Order: sequence, then C-alpha cells, then structure tokens
Amino acid sequence: MANIDQLSAARIAAGVAAGKFSATEVARASLDAIESRDPQVRAFLQVSADLALAAAAETDRRRAAGEALGPLAGVPVAFKDNMHLVGTRTTCASRMLENYESTFTATCVQRMLDAGATPMGKANMDEFAFGSSTESSAFHRTNNPWDTERVPGGSSGGSAAAVAAGEVTVSLGSDTGGSIRQPASLCGVVGMKPTYGAVSRYGVVAFGSSLDQVGPFGRSVEDVALAMNALTAVGRDPYDSTSQPCAVDFLEHLEDPVEGMRVGVVPALMDAAGLTEEVRTAVGGAARALEDAGAQLVEVDLPNITSAIAAYYVIAPCEAFSNLARFDGVRYGYREEGCLTLAEQTSRSRAHGFGEEAKRRQMLGAYLLSSGVYDTYYYPAQQVRTLITQDYRRAYEQCDVILMPATPRTAFRFGEISDPTQMYASDMFTISNNIAGNGGISVPLGLGAESRLPVSVQLQGPAFSDRKLLRFARAVERAAGAQGVVAPGFAGKGGEL
Amino acid sequence: MALSREDVAGIADYARIALTDGELDEMTIYMNEAVDLLEPIRQYDLDGVDPTFHPIGDLSNVMGEDIVDDSARALPIDAALSNADSTRDRYFRVPSILGTDEDEGGIA
Amino acid sequence: MKRLAEVLRDWEAVIGLEVHTELTTLETKMFCNCKNTHDDPPNANVCPVCLGMPGALPVPNRAAIQSIVMAGLATNCQIMRHSMFYRKHYFYPDMAKNYQTTQGPVAFCMHGHLDLEVSGEGAAERPAWEDVAADGETPVSRERDGSYVAPIRILRIHMEEDAAKMVHVGGEEGRITAATESLIDYNRCGTPLIELVTEPDLRTPEEARLFMEKLQQTFRTLGISDCSLESGSMRCDGNVSLRRRGETRLGTKTEMKNINSFKSLHDALEYEICRQAEVLEEGGIVYQETRHWEPSRRRTVVMRVKETADDYRLFPDPDLAPFDLTDDFIEEAREKIPELPDAKRDRYMAELGLKRADAAQLAADPNVAAFFEEALEGAPAKVAATIANVMVNLVPSFGALTPAQVASIAGLLAEDAVTFAQAREVLAAVDGTEKDPEAVVDERGLRQTNDVSALEPIVDEVLERCGAAHPKAGGVG
Repeated sequence: MANIDQLSAARIAAGVAAGKFSATEVARASLDAIESRDPQVRAFLQVSADLALAAAAETDRRRAAGEALGPLAGVPVAFKDNMHLVGTRTTCASRMLENYESTFTATCVQRMLDAGATPMGKANMDEFAFGSSTESSAFHRTNNPWDTERVPGGSSGGSAAAVAAGEVTVSLGSDTGGSIRQPASLCGVVGMKPTYGAVSRYGVVAFGSSLDQVGPFGRSVEDVALAMNALTAVGRDPYDSTSQPCAVDFLEHLEDPVEGMRVGVVPALMDAAGLTEEVRTAVGGAARALEDAGAQLVEVDLPNITSAIAAYYVIAPCEAFSNLARFDGVRYGYREEGCLTLAEQTSRSRAHGFGEEAKRRQMLGAYLLSSGVYDTYYYPAQQVRTLITQDYRRAYEQCDVILMPATPRTAFRFGEISDPTQMYASDMFTISNNIAGNGGISVPLGLGAESRLPVSVQLQGPAFSDRKLLRFARAVERAAGAQGVVAPGFAGKGGEL
Repeated sequence: MALSREDVAGIADYARIALTDGELDEMTIYMNEAVDLLEPIRQYDLDGVDPTFHPIGDLSNVMGEDIVDDSARALPIDAALSNADSTRDRYFRVPSILGTDEDEGGIA
Repeated sequence: MKRLAEVLRDWEAVIGLEVHTELTTLETKMFCNCKNTHDDPPNANVCPVCLGMPGALPVPNRAAIQSIVMAGLATNCQIMRHSMFYRKHYFYPDMAKNYQTTQGPVAFCMHGHLDLEVSGEGAAERPAWEDVAADGETPVSRERDGSYVAPIRILRIHMEEDAAKMVHVGGEEGRITAATESLIDYNRCGTPLIELVTEPDLRTPEEARLFMEKLQQTFRTLGISDCSLESGSMRCDGNVSLRRRGETRLGTKTEMKNINSFKSLHDALEYEICRQAEVLEEGGIVYQETRHWEPSRRRTVVMRVKETADDYRLFPDPDLAPFDLTDDFIEEAREKIPELPDAKRDRYMAELGLKRADAAQLAADPNVAAFFEEALEGAPAKVAATIANVMVNLVPSFGALTPAQVASIAGLLAEDAVTFAQAREVLAAVDGTEKDPEAVVDERGLRQTNDVSALEPIVDEVLERCGAAHPKAGGVG
C-alpha cells in the first residue's frame, strides 16, 4: 500500500479512523522500519514493542467498539529517554540510570498516549541532555541518517534521527539550549521548542529547570502542530507549578497566508562568526521566500544576545548541579558496592555513574553557586537574562517573528568537536530563546549547497505565540518544498504498510 | 581569578564527585576555560536591573489543594523501593555515616 | 561548676531559639499530595515528589502557606507579599533531592515579636537590672513581686519541608556512633515545616522555656500543629553565648540540639551557660560548635565543630513560581485565627475580673479555655470568678470532669454551701461520671447552712483552736 515513512501523522490517524489500516498494522510497520533501519541509525535505546502493540490493540479495540479515537490514533511516536513511561527504563543515556524503571509516566508522554499515539520506544540522547551531538550517551552514538559518519546533533539526537530515518512519525525531545532545534536542523526535520510553560515538564528528568521545555519533532509542520495539540489541549498540568494554559488549536490558521505580517531579521546574527556561507545563503533564501509570500522584512536588534551563551553557561550548570544532586545511589541509580561510609558511597557512585560532561557541568554549577561566586556570576547572569528578555520584547514590537539560522553549520563528523567549550558554540543561535523562555522552531530548507546535508532556518516568536510561529513555519515549508523528506539512505527500507 | 587544583578538589569534595589525580588535572583546565567563557557577564553594569529567575511572566502564587490523592501518585512500597540497590525490610539502606562531618539528622 | 544564679550575676547569657514546627493538622505534605502522617509503616506515604524521583516536580500546599501566614499574624510579624522558595543543598540522604526546599532572605513572615510574662521563681533567674553593675541592656520593667514582661523579637518564620527519619543500626541507643548502617523512612520527608528564628533577645533559660511554651500555646490555638516536643513535631535548637555584664559585643555561641521537652530546654541552657562561664573564667575559649544534650547525664557534649560557615549553595527554586500574596489571601488567613491566648487573657481580666495570673493560665491552653468557657455558659456572672478559681485550683487534679460539673460545684462554693475541701471530695466522687456534684452534696448531707446562730459555737471552737496553735497569727488568715 505505502511505506510508513511516506505517511504523515494526520494521514495515519485518518487511515486508522477510516479503517484503511489498523493501528496494529501501523505499529508493526514502524517496528519493521526500526528493525531494518535502526542498526545503522541507532536512534533507539529501547524499543518498546510490547507496549506499542498493546497500545495499538487498544486503539483498534476502541475503533471496533465505536469509541472516539484521538487525533494521533495509531501514530508511531518515540520519546527521548529522559521522559518517564511506565513499562520502560528511563536512562537519560547514563550509567547512573542504566537500570532505572519508570515509576510513573510523564505528563507529556501520557498526553500523547491519550491522543492515541503508539509508543515505539525511548530515543538516545546526550547523557542527561548535556551536549549537542548525542556523543555523550553512555551507551552508543546515534548516526545522522543523512550521513552516518556524522552526528545527528543533540541532545535530542535520537528523537531527531528516528523521525529523519522514517522509523517513527513523530517524536518528543527536550530543549534546554537548543536540544530540539539543533538536532532537527542537522537531521532535516521540523523541531519545535514551545514557549516555556506551554508543555508540562512533569516526569521529564530535569537538566535546567528554568530553561527545559518539551517539544515535538516531525517531518512536517502539520505533524508538529498536531503533536502540539495533543500536548496542550487538556490545559495546564497541575503537577507542574510553571505550567501555563496554552490550549489553542495549532492546526487552525496553519495554512493562513503571512501576507502583511512582519519578519524580523537581526543583521548582526547573519554576520556571526562561525556561520557558514551555505547556511547564511539558505537562511537568506528563506527570508526572501517569506517576503515573496507577502511578509515584510524588518531589521531588528538584539544587542544583548551576544551574552546569551555566557548567561546560559552560568544558569544551566547551576540548575544542573542542583537537579543532579539527587543521584546519590540511595533511592535509585548506580551505587558503588563495598563502600564503608556513606560519603564514600556517594562520591564514588557519582564519580562512576556520571559521564565526563555530566561531571563537568555539575562541577561548574557547584562552583558558580558557592558563596561570593554567586554574586559574581549567578545573580548577574539572571539580570542579563532580563536584558535579553527585554531585547526580545522590544524587537517583537516591530515584528511578529524573528528569522535566523538554527545552527551555524551542518552536521559535523564524530569526534570533530572534542573541546567541550567549542561544542557549546553549536547552540549560539538557539540559546537566547531558552534564556527568554520564548518559542522557537527549526524548519528544513533542503540541502546545503556545499555540504549536501540538511540546512534549516529557525523562527522565534514572543511567549505564547506558538500558533503564529507554526503558521510562519508552514509558510517557509511551503516555499522550501521540503515537507516530509526521509533521509534517502533509509527511505523505503522496511516499514511497508 | 583562576581556579587552582586545590580549589577544584574542594568543589569536587563538596559535589560528592570522587576524582582521580588525572581527572582533577583535566577538570581544573576545563573549569578555568569555562569560567573564561563567562567573562561577558562580569562586564555589565547591571545597576537597577531585576533578575529573572523564572521566565514565566507574571505567573505567581501557584498552589495546590490540601487533598490526599493516594490513588493518583502514592507509590506502593514495592514500587517505592524498586529502583533502590540496597534496602532492608521497608527501608532504604545506606552505610554508616561515620567519616562524614554532617550533623545527626541533616539540616532540618 | 558555679550555679546559674551566681553565673548570671557576672555574665549575661544571650540566647536565641530556632523552632521547627511541623504542620501536623494538614492532610498532605508540603509539595505533593501524600498523606501527612508519620505513624504508618516505613515508606508507606511516599510518591515520586517526596522521594525525589528524577522528573518529579513540587507544587506548594495552599493550606500550608495559609497556616504560616496565620502563624505570622499571630506573632505580630510583617507578612511579606513577595517571597520565593529556594533550594538549600546538603548531601545527606534524609533529604531525598539532596537539597531542601526552603525560603531565602525573604520569608513569608518577618520581624514579629511575642511578649513574655515572667513571674515566680523563674523571674529570679534574670537579675534585677539595678542589682547588676553596668548592665548594658535595656532594663525590663519589674513589678514589685519581681515579675516582668520581656518583649522577644522574632526575626522570621519561613516555610520549608521536613527531612526523612533515619534509623541508625548497630550503634548504641540508635545513635550514629558505632552504627554500621542507617535505614531511611521517607514518610516524614516533605512534611510541611515552619521554622521560626528569634532575635537573640532571651536572657535566661526560664525565658527560653516560657517562649517555647507560649509559642506552643499560640500554634495550638491556631490549630496548625499538635506541637509535641516529645514526638518531635515541635523541635527547638538553642543558641547561647555569654558576655560580661556591660559588654555589648556578642561572645562565641554554641548550638544545642536534642531538646525534646521544656525541661530539657531549660536544663540544657542552664548547663551550657554554667559550662561556658567555667571555660571563660578559667581563661579558656568557647568554640563555635553544635552540642548534643544528654538528658540522662544532664550535660551537653560536642557533636560537631563549625570551622567555617556552611555553604548551602542557596538559589531561587526555578520549579516554584514566586509568591505575591494578595490582600484577599492574607485576610482569609486572618479570619481563620481564633482568639489568641493574650487576647483571651485580657478579656477574662476585663469581662470576668479575673486576676492576671489566673486569666493567663486559663487562656494559655485552648482546650482548657474552651472547657472554662463552656462551664461559664449559663452560670450567673457572679460565679465566674469562682469557676475560674475551681479551674485553676481543683480541676488540674482530676482527669475527667465535665464543664457542667465544674459550674455546679462552683455555684455551691459561691454561695458557701460547701467548703473548698468538701468541693474537692465531691469532685473526686463525680470525676469520670455524669453525676451532678449538687446531687452528691445532698446525698451526703454536706450542704452547709447559712444559719449564723447554728454556726456560732463551731466558729468559736475553731477560732479558739487556731489561736492556740498559732498564737502569733493575727487578723484574717
């Protein structure tokens, strides 16, 4: 009939509802695609075949019983392995949690399941989400489906790669400094970081609590909008104090024209050091495409955005240190055997359970929060955060969205960036949005002129303007014609439906 | 304000991360590089600028009701202990705390 | 060692208290919806939040915030509109997250005070200021009987969560010393806890004891906690330092832990004051340290020397939205506050004409006050003072009297129908029963007559005998 990788989420849900195929058939096709493709991609840490088939059977039972089906009925979904799902381990790609069984299900996961999605498994990531290449996973690397010698980006590299390889239709990732938008860009898929507070963080292992936000990956803007509906339609999550109501229909107005609306461009960002020519050219092309669609380009300034990386590398490690303090081997997690004292057990369990980058970030945070140092870095960084937020607010008085690159360059080779502080520059275009708490989305523009690897544009919008952001993303997608492309090396491999 | 190896060892001790000598050397290099990256923060004149600890706009006073919901979240004992490597009866178990400098009973 | 009275003539003791009170009357924990009780089997009331499971998030308990606002209003604190929760880091497994969620520089309640009435023997612990040479402190005003009122400032009351209970196995008396392992029960972890910190305004162990009593009465009246020192739902750490009378600089303080009764608080401070005086008088140094009170040996022993201030890496908790308490929220809390002991005492004095000491005693315990007021109901106004008298002098000796029985016997006393001794006898007979004391009096024929002619011979006889036994006792007894 068709390959699973050719179907959008909407078409799968519609097909299941119409009885064109069953959710079980879709789940089996997805499992087949995973079986044929994932040995090369290695996007998954666990494939939850039993859960998937049980969920699909339940969807089919509902249909047979004439019960209402959700908007994601039968859609195969992967979850980043920092999201709890009862019946799976949640490892955060760390030795620390190698055997950790989820004791509850994250709100974001539950909402996808409630919408009818089929849980295919848990996706690889940088350990505890510390990284931009998924190389820091304690278990294995994930290969970029467009070139398996290259990284998929990170930290949600597995979630991006699983969608890019056509193994699943939609996936969830989390974005603390670019961890959805950057891998989406490197893997040529759509990835959205919604406004902070739009999607519940309950049940997602925290990295930087004031920066983390869960969001969807898809091969089209429409699929991402559909997932956003599932994630937010129920309203705010009473288990997450920072959750806010954001229940709008993200599909509504998706196809509306952007004519007469204003797109902000930051000249300084388009000339940023490290930005490759092919990305600059492609992003410029996207701006012109929006102009051609009737939008007006306006120059805006974000004067403090150059300090965003510095502010981020104060705030994020401090929150990470605090959030990871709980991993002491007592209630869960890796525990070093044979220690005579508690202090020894704690220090050795943490030393051997955590990987290098996890230790580096916690050490940095523990230093930056210490008395005296707090006033030198932490407090001022939160003041700089205010300045960056104000920059955005002023800019959005002049435009509806801001357009910029998602990443400075296309996917790099494994091991190419080994210096941790250089790796931090991968997020130079994405970090400021987490600092301000605004929404952002990366939309594929096809392949770069030189690298022949996926290039994306990033759109950012004011807080809780996520629907408008999706509308612009759709306009870019229409112009770029890049919708639904599966990495060519994997398209059609297994997964016949 | 470069961080010395001793400074870094002190932080590791506080953060309960046992580092080997070699790791301590590498960590010291990293910490100093990372702190250099933060320099822009120190160049600001931030008089009168309020910090943003929570990027949530005007959201405040978020509270829940004082109602037991044991059906929803409370963990049965098996689930509560299921991820612990060392337990005894219904308890989590840790080795002797001797050799640490904590108060008996922690901080509360 | 010298005795306390002797020490306090030369030295001024500067005492501050940190009082932790669990909000035991709430249904659920501070940041989750687990049952707020510690009586169940170990780890029966736990969830991902209070076990600190990765990915769990806190949501503050509205009733707990209301309770602390009530506590603040009842102790004359300023209620701070804007405050935040902070994370206080400390690697110890009784805190499931290895940080405690508490408050930062701004607490919900700041800058309050309670006035202590110190009388009787305890008042003598603070030497009259005119008796002490060059006393640097502001003198408290003394009544002729030596009693005085000491205003004790409260620095802050903040909201936080309690830690888990640890059982140390293999050591002596369940203590850490020689324990081979420790077991952790997280039922208590996350219990709503308020911490009150006084300014160092207390000067004697008796004042510290009275302050704790008054705080207990106040919180019990508010209904926010059972305030049991024995079970640990109210816990107190005492800080004490000494300085020479007239000196204004503070000395080095020590901190006292393991105080689980009012008597322990008094005795631990008394011991510590005398110990510090001895050290200082011998030219020694008092170290800043935490000391453990051993009630059986009546001494404090050093637990831990604090060489440097602890660095708790405090920062605002990003998982918890800030607070901007509204007028409505504060007013709602204010309306829930019942009449407090001080106000009740003043009312008893003004409305019933009770003596201050009696009024204070009846007003202190909300249960006693409620009993008293029930006994007053329907009784003639002129009997009120007698009811109070019975409440103060007789009722405490019995276990199960009813307010109606107290009102009845007081009525008989007020009309001189029985003597005080007979009243005691009658109450003993009705204690724990539904019987009316008046019926017992009639049954036993105890009712006194007011016929003067019948009494005269008896009175004469009694007076004669008294005069013989106490020849010097003149006038009325």
